[in-house]
Amino acid sequence: MSDYSMKDIEWAKINRDVLASLESPRKEFWIVLGVCLVLVLCGVAAEAYQYNEGLGVALMDRPHFWQLYISNFVFWIGMSHSGTLLSAILLLTQADWRKPIYRFAEAMTLFSILTAAIFPVIHLGRVWNMYWVLPYPNERTIWPNFRSPLLWDAAAITTYATSSILFLYVGMIPDLAICRDNAKGWRKKLYTALSIGWMGRASEWLAFRKTYVLLACFLVPLAVSVHSIVASDFAMSIMPDWHITSFPPYFVAGALYSGCAAIITLFVLLRYVFKFEAYMTTEIMDKTAKLTFAIAMVWNYLNLSEYASIWYSNDMFEKEVLMEKFFGPYHWVVWGMLLCATVAPFAMAFKKVRHNMWAMFWLSLVLQLGMWLERFQIVSPPLASNHEPWTWAVVWPGLVQLTITVASFGWFTMLFLIFCKVFPSVSMYEVKEMVFHRRKASSRTEMEDLNKVKDEMIKQEEGLS
Amino acid sequence: MRRRKKHFLFGVYDDFDKARDVVSELKMLDLKEMVVDNIELYSPIEHPEVEEILGEFHQPIQRFTFFGAITGAICAFLLVAGAAQAMFTVQPQGGKPVIPLPMDIVITYEGTIMFGVYSTIIAFLIYSGMPKRLKKYYTQKVSEDQIGIEVEVVAEKSDLVRAALEKCGAVEIREVTQ
Repeated sequence: MSDYSMKDIEWAKINRDVLASLESPRKEFWIVLGVCLVLVLCGVAAEAYQYNEGLGVALMDRPHFWQLYISNFVFWIGMSHSGTLLSAILLLTQADWRKPIYRFAEAMTLFSILTAAIFPVIHLGRVWNMYWVLPYPNERTIWPNFRSPLLWDAAAITTYATSSILFLYVGMIPDLAICRDNAKGWRKKLYTALSIGWMGRASEWLAFRKTYVLLACFLVPLAVSVHSIVASDFAMSIMPDWHITSFPPYFVAGALYSGCAAIITLFVLLRYVFKFEAYMTTEIMDKTAKLTFAIAMVWNYLNLSEYASIWYSNDMFEKEVLMEKFFGPYHWVVWGMLLCATVAPFAMAFKKVRHNMWAMFWLSLVLQLGMWLERFQIVSPPLASNHEPWTWAVVWPGLVQLTITVASFGWFTMLFLIFCKVFPSVSMYEVKEMVFHRRKASSRTEMEDLNKVKDEMIKQEEGLS
Repeated sequence: MRRRKKHFLFGVYDDFDKARDVVSELKMLDLKEMVVDNIELYSPIEHPEVEEILGEFHQPIQRFTFFGAITGAICAFLLVAGAAQAMFTVQPQGGKPVIPLPMDIVITYEGTIMFGVYSTIIAFLIYSGMPKRLKKYYTQKVSEDQIGIEVEVVAEKSDLVRAALEKCGAVEIREVTQ
């Protein structure tokens, strides 16, 4: 495939195509949105029931005080990673293939965080006490305990959420100006307010580029810190199978892995629903798939090294929990995870799979299922066989937890689709830049080829004479 | 005191190279006739080479970032250390330090990044001059596929500048006094 594909797209056409996505998606868009809304309503009903009756209806009892809500929290935080982190890394390394896909990946980050942030609140049961995590002293002048990883979580997630929103917003300003110039009615008012008077002046572009790169520099270490801190929620405890040194990098790799899989899912979905075939090309899917495959291998390495270190340590508690995981009542979760997240990614080693959009779509769902099972097998099975044998019990999540879990997927997808309907999900100015540079590079190559032919002709003529 | 009215010419070009030519032309004209007060370039994408044409822009955004990040680190550390100190008599320490550095580094790290990001955004708004209202002569073509050249001129000699803009192949020229 040519490195200069997409070089012939007219700039005005880029504007037209992306702006059209805000007006007329395929009818499947409305069907998916409707299904998501129904799921969200089911989730709201389940939460209302739990709110009135107490956490007992969610079957959260000793020793399973941490269950599906925490698994979901870790899963959604993980998914939020790839969007902003990959966008920032690819921006700093000047990989131009990120340009048509980074906007929706960053939006994915934002909505994943918003989804993740709901779960600690639901998990708490006493929703009205959520403000206790805010850093201020209570009436007895006692401050929150800053030594607790749970409070680090609150600080890290607040920082990550605000920084990701700003990174997404700043990157969107030139496109909001394009929308402002072409919109009518309420959209015009919205885009005028959000584009804050952007006109594309040289001074604006220079300030914009500097700011964008500086924000990217902050977001890379920030994203790594956020999931390391989420890992600390587990690793700082003395629970067997949680108290593991390699948990932070393992969590970060897992987060990137599930996030990349989610990018692939949304890539195919947006490409079809908003007719972005000209921008979300097989060339970009190929690169995204290769990146996902590489990250999957890193995650697998860390996963296997974790098993190996437990095995070689010969710690009886750790070993027993590990054996319970593989052969105990939760064994299908662990084997399911290994099948979906360790074996399935090898399909991406084949070019035919990487270039088939719908094959990648289904594969990405399998990978995400694997990563969701991974979150569940981290949280629940170790609690079933902890340091207190008299509390041992196998408890599966009840209907309330499952309903809220499914609703969270509906909530995320609903927010994401609404975003894509209101804001451009493909960056118009960055695609124009890509086209501009590829066109330049292509004409440079053509000139070099012409010069070579010319030189050869001159040499031949000299030889003849 | 009455504000002096400013006179602007705004030329639209379909190619960046033409815009580059017109800026050189205007600079030459200014050397001879002293007619140009300020030149600004509008484009749908970033052209890093614009500083070679218009001169260097002074935008020390990174200084804001640096000092913002340091302020964030200090504030976050003072918050956690201060909170620990405030609870010294209330919360049993069990022989552990009142201000444990490894724990406090996490919040300090997050504070550094948070303030660094905020100060960068503030610097962006300052140096890009936003938020602001759209100018009268702004055309949506410059957000699509054309390049705009805005020239602030001495009103009496605007014909000279207009001629220079036309000479380099302007698609459209707008004239505004405000």
